Amino acid sequence: MSLEEEYTFVRHSAALSRMEHVQCVRIEGEDATEAVDAICSGDLWVRDGRMRQTLILDERGQPIADVYVCPDDDDCILLFEGMTASELFEYIDRYADPELEIRPVDLRPTHELISLHGPYAWEVLSRWLTPDIIGLPYLSFYYFDHGICFRAGKTGEYGYDLLVHREHAGDAWQDLLGLVSAVRGGEVSLETLDLCALENGFFSVRHGSVDGLTPLELQLQWRVSARKRFPGVEAIEERRAEGVGRRLTHFVARDGVRAGDEVRSADGPVGRVGSAMLSPGVGGIVGTALLDISVAHPGIDAFFASHSDTKRPIRTISSPALFNRSLLVDPHRHTYETRDRSMDPPLWQGALP
Amino acid sequence: MSQSPHITGWGVASALGVGRDRFRAALLRGNTGIAEIQRFDTSPFATHVGAMVAGYEADERDPTLLCQEFGLLALRDALAHAALDIERLRTMRVGLTVGASLFGDYNTESLARDLARELGISGPSITISTACTSSTQAIGFGADLIREGFVDIVLAGGVDALTPALFSGFHALGVLSERPCTPFGRQIGTTLGEGAGFVVLERSGLRDAVTHALLRGYGLSGDAYHETSPEPRGRGVAAAIRGALDDAGASETDIGYFNAHGTGTMANDTAEWCAVQSVFGSELGESLPLSSSKGHLGHAQSAAGVLEVITTLECMQIGLAPTTAGFEAARPGGPPQPLGSKQPKPLTYELALSSNSAFGGSNCALVFGNDRPASSAPEQRRRVFVSGAAALCPGVSQISELASIYEAEPEPLHGELDLDLAAELPRVDVRGIDRAAELLTTVTSRALGDAGVQPRGKARGRTGLIAGTLRASPDSLHRFHTSLEERGIAKPDATAFAQVLPSAAQSACAKALNLRGPQSTITIGEGSGLMAAVMATWMLARRRDADRMVAAAVDVRSPSSPEGALADAACALVLCTTPSTVEVAGIGLAGPEQLDDAISEARRGWGREEAPELFIERPDPFGGMPATSSSFALAHALSSLRRGAAGSALIASRGTTASVAMVLTSIEVTGND
Amino acid sequence: MTELSDYIASREAVLDRVRRLLRETMKLRLEPEAIDPDAPLFGTGLGMDSVDAVELVVQLDAVFGLKLADSLFVSSKMRTVNTIVDAIMELGDEP
Repeated sequence: MSLEEEYTFVRHSAALSRMEHVQCVRIEGEDATEAVDAICSGDLWVRDGRMRQTLILDERGQPIADVYVCPDDDDCILLFEGMTASELFEYIDRYADPELEIRPVDLRPTHELISLHGPYAWEVLSRWLTPDIIGLPYLSFYYFDHGICFRAGKTGEYGYDLLVHREHAGDAWQDLLGLVSAVRGGEVSLETLDLCALENGFFSVRHGSVDGLTPLELQLQWRVSARKRFPGVEAIEERRAEGVGRRLTHFVARDGVRAGDEVRSADGPVGRVGSAMLSPGVGGIVGTALLDISVAHPGIDAFFASHSDTKRPIRTISSPALFNRSLLVDPHRHTYETRDRSMDPPLWQGALP
Repeated sequence: MSQSPHITGWGVASALGVGRDRFRAALLRGNTGIAEIQRFDTSPFATHVGAMVAGYEADERDPTLLCQEFGLLALRDALAHAALDIERLRTMRVGLTVGASLFGDYNTESLARDLARELGISGPSITISTACTSSTQAIGFGADLIREGFVDIVLAGGVDALTPALFSGFHALGVLSERPCTPFGRQIGTTLGEGAGFVVLERSGLRDAVTHALLRGYGLSGDAYHETSPEPRGRGVAAAIRGALDDAGASETDIGYFNAHGTGTMANDTAEWCAVQSVFGSELGESLPLSSSKGHLGHAQSAAGVLEVITTLECMQIGLAPTTAGFEAARPGGPPQPLGSKQPKPLTYELALSSNSAFGGSNCALVFGNDRPASSAPEQRRRVFVSGAAALCPGVSQISELASIYEAEPEPLHGELDLDLAAELPRVDVRGIDRAAELLTTVTSRALGDAGVQPRGKARGRTGLIAGTLRASPDSLHRFHTSLEERGIAKPDATAFAQVLPSAAQSACAKALNLRGPQSTITIGEGSGLMAAVMATWMLARRRDADRMVAAAVDVRSPSSPEGALADAACALVLCTTPSTVEVAGIGLAGPEQLDDAISEARRGWGREEAPELFIERPDPFGGMPATSSSFALAHALSSLRRGAAGSALIASRGTTASVAMVLTSIEVTGND
Repeated sequence: MTELSDYIASREAVLDRVRRLLRETMKLRLEPEAIDPDAPLFGTGLGMDSVDAVELVVQLDAVFGLKLADSLFVSSKMRTVNTIVDAIMELGDEP
C-alpha cells in the first residue's frame, strides 16, 4: 500500500497496525504507583481504569520515553516508547526508593500489541469485541477475554491499542484485518502513523528529541509536575530560571522543506526545522520548527525554510492542522455505510503559503 | 431480630396525581406527568418541559413551602393507606427518614423537623441528602431502624421541588433532553420532575395490618469517579445491586423485575446497562424485565427513589410491571428490550429490584416483594471497633488536644482553619475542591492514617463513608447563587452547581481517597457526627459488603447565616470489624426529646449494670459546630480510652431531630494484631 | 516588519489573557507561561472535563465576546489554547 492509501485508511475509515515499537510492562506490588511516580515527570492524577500520558526525562531534562500510565487496582500498567523494558526497570531501580515493594513484569514476551486507528475504528472493534466498546471513554482501558483494550491513539482519530495474549494474536490479526477491510480500510505502516501524529501535534520521542530540548521548548509542560521531584527536574528548573528561548511551532509549506533546514525571517535566522513530512491531507508539507520564542506563534507568513540555496516560504499554524473526521462521527448514531458525508467540512481548512 | 420490615402503606404527591388513587388511575391509563413548565419562564433555555406535582404546576411559592406541603400530603396519604391515624401513631415508636437535598441558606434537617412536628412524630428523624439517591437510601435506612429495634414503624421517603436554579444547573450541564425524556430510547437526556413519596415500614407482628410487600434489603456504594458523570462501566451500580441482593438473602435469579434509574442520559443509561449485564450475566440480563419510570414522572430528584418504588408496588400488587413511557426504539449501548409503552404490562414476580444513582457517584438499590424465596442471609452480627480518629477545629489538630478543651470551661469557638490539602495528599488532584470537601478530606485522610490503613485494591470497595453535615459548603453556595445573579438564570457556574449538594463534600472526599464502599450524607442537625457513627456501627455489624466505615462530620464557618456554624470544624472516626483496643459496645437512637431512651438503649447494648466511667452528655461545650461537636466527643472518648484514663465512655447527644448515644469500651486484644 | 510585530504583540496579549482565564476557570496551580499554547484542552493536555467546558464557554463570551454556539463549532474551536486564541482573534470583540 502506498502512503496515500494508508493515510486514507487512518483518516477516513479504519487502519490496523502492529505496534512493535511500543513496550508494555506491569509494575505489581503495594508500592507500584509510588515507584512509577518516582520516575515520571508528570503528576499521576489518574484513576483506576484510566490512562495518563506523561514522560520520562533524563538528567538533562530531555524526554527519553513517552509513557501512558494506567493504574489497574494497585498495579500499574505502562505503555511506552523510547526505552526498552529493562531500561525502564533500571530507571526505577535508580530513582525510586529501594524499600518500595514492587515486582516489575515485562508483558511483551507474552503479548502482542495490535492497534486500530480511524474514524470507524470503534465500529471494527464493536464487531470484534463488543458493541459496548463505544462506551469506553478516551484514555481508559478494560480487560477482555484475550487481553486488554486501551483507548488512546496518537493520530487524532479514534484509536485503540489491543494487548493480546500471544497465542491469540494471530487469529486476532486475521479477524481484525477482515473487519477493517469491510470498512474499506487496511494495514498501515509506522511511517503513516508517524505522519498522522505529526499532523495532529502528537510528540514523537523517536523524532522529536533534539539535543538540548526539554518539555519547556517542546510544549510538553502539561506532562511535567509543578510540585514533585523527578529525574530531570533540576535541569528544568535551571532552564526556567534562565528563561526559555525557543518553542516548537507547527507549520505548513508547499514543498521542498526538510528536517534540519534553517528558518529565517527578513531580519535573519529565527530557528530550525525539526521534522517535515509530505501530507496528503494538507496537500503539502506539515512540520515542526524550533523558533525563537519571540516569534513562535501560529499564523505567521513571514518566514522561509532553507537548505543549500533553496528558500521555501512556510506558514506557522495552530496544531492540530486538520478537522479530523472522528470529530464528526458519533458511534451512537453513525456507521461507516450509512453516514452521510456530503455536508462534512473539509479535512484541511487552511491555505498553503 | 432481622425479619424484613413490612410495607403496609404508601402515599404520594406527584406529577401523576396527588394521593394514591389518582396516582394509580393515571398510571394505569398510561398518562405521563411531563408537560410544558408553567411555574417559571423557560425561554432562556433550550428545553421547556418538566414534571410538576399535579395542581402545583403554576405554584411559585418558596420551594421549602412546596416541599413541606408535598411532604405532608404524601405522609398523610401513606398513613391513611396503612390505616394509621395520628393518635395511634403516638402510642408507637415511630421514626421518619426523609430524602431531601434542597440547597439554600438553611439547614437541611429543617424539613424533617417540621414534618415530624406536624404529624406529632416524637421518634427519631433522619434526613438523607444525597440528591437522586436520597429517598432510596431513606427507605434502606428506615428498614435498618426497624431491624435494629430502635423503632416499630418508619415513614420513609423523600421530597423535592423543581426550582429555576435546579433547572438551570442541569441545563448548563447539558443533560436535559429537549422533549420529554425517553429512557433507554432514541432521545438523549433527562427531564426533571418533583414530588414527594413515603412508604410505611413496620416491624413484623406489630399489629394486624395488611402487608403489601416486604422490604428485603438495600445496597449502597460510591463510584469515587466524577462530580456529575457516573463511572462508565457501572461498577458502582453493580456493587449497590449486589449489596442489596446480599442484604436480602436473594440471588440475581430471584429478581423478576428491575425498576432502573434510567434517566435517559447517555452516561447513566449505558453505565446502568453495563451494571445489569455484570450482575445478571448477558443472557439473564437481556431477558430481565426492566423499565424506567422517569418517562412518566420525570426525574423527581430526592423523591425519585421512593416514587419509583411506589410505582412498582402499585403495579406489583395487581400483577403488572411498570413500563417506560416514551420508549420506542432502543439506543445502542443500552438494554435492547426494556418494557416500553405507556401502560403497565401484565407480569407476575416475587421480587423486584429498584436502583438509583446520583451526582457524586452515589448508588443505592432496594430489593422488595414477597418472602419467597426465603432469605438465605445468615444472622451473624459482627463486632465493631474504633481504630482511628482525627479532629480539626481552631486550636485543635490532634485528638489528644480535645481533652484540655473538655476539661476546661467551655467557650464558643470561632474562626477559620488554614489548610493545604495539596500538601496533605500530594498524589491527588484537588483542584477546585471546596471548603467543606477540603475539611472533610483532610480529617478522613488523617483518621485513616491514625488507624494505620490506606485502603488498597478490593478494600476500597469495602470501605465506606458516612458524613454528617447540615448544608452544602457556603463557598459553593455563594459562587452558584452569585453566578445566577450576575450572569442571569441561563448561565450558572456549572462547577459550583455540582458542589451545592450537601453530599458534595462526601463525594469529593470519597473520590480523593478512592473509597467505594457504602456511603451517605445525613443530618439530624446538632449531633449529626454521632448519628453518622451510630449508622456506621449498625451497617458494619449487620452488612457483609463493608469491613470499614469512616464516620465523619464537617461544619464550615458561615457566620453571616442565621443557623450557620461559627467555626470550621471536621472530625472523622474509623470504625472497623477487625479487633482493636476500643469497641463500640452499644448504640441508642430515639426522638429528640427522648435522650434518656437513647442512653438506656446504648447501655443495654453494653450489658453492664454500672455506669460508664466517662460520660459526655452535652458534647457541645463550644457551640457553633452543630454537626461536628458530637464527633469530637467521640474522638475525645477514644483518646481517653486509649490513654487508659477511662475504661468505658458514654457519649450522648440531644440532636435537633433525634437523640443518639454510644458506649465505647476498652478491650484486651488477644491473639493476632 | 511592523505588521508582523503588531500581529505578534496582539497575539501575545490575547494568549496571556486566555492563559489566565484557563488558570482561573480550571483552578490550575500554574504560572501562565507554564500553559503551553498548543496544549490540548480535553482528555489529555490540560485535562478539562465537560463541566469545566461549560464554564469556559460562558467566560469566553463574557470576557472576549466569543460566542460558541453549537457543539461541533465548539469542539473544533476549543481544541488547544492556540485554537481559542485563533477564534478570539478571528471572531471575538475588539479588545
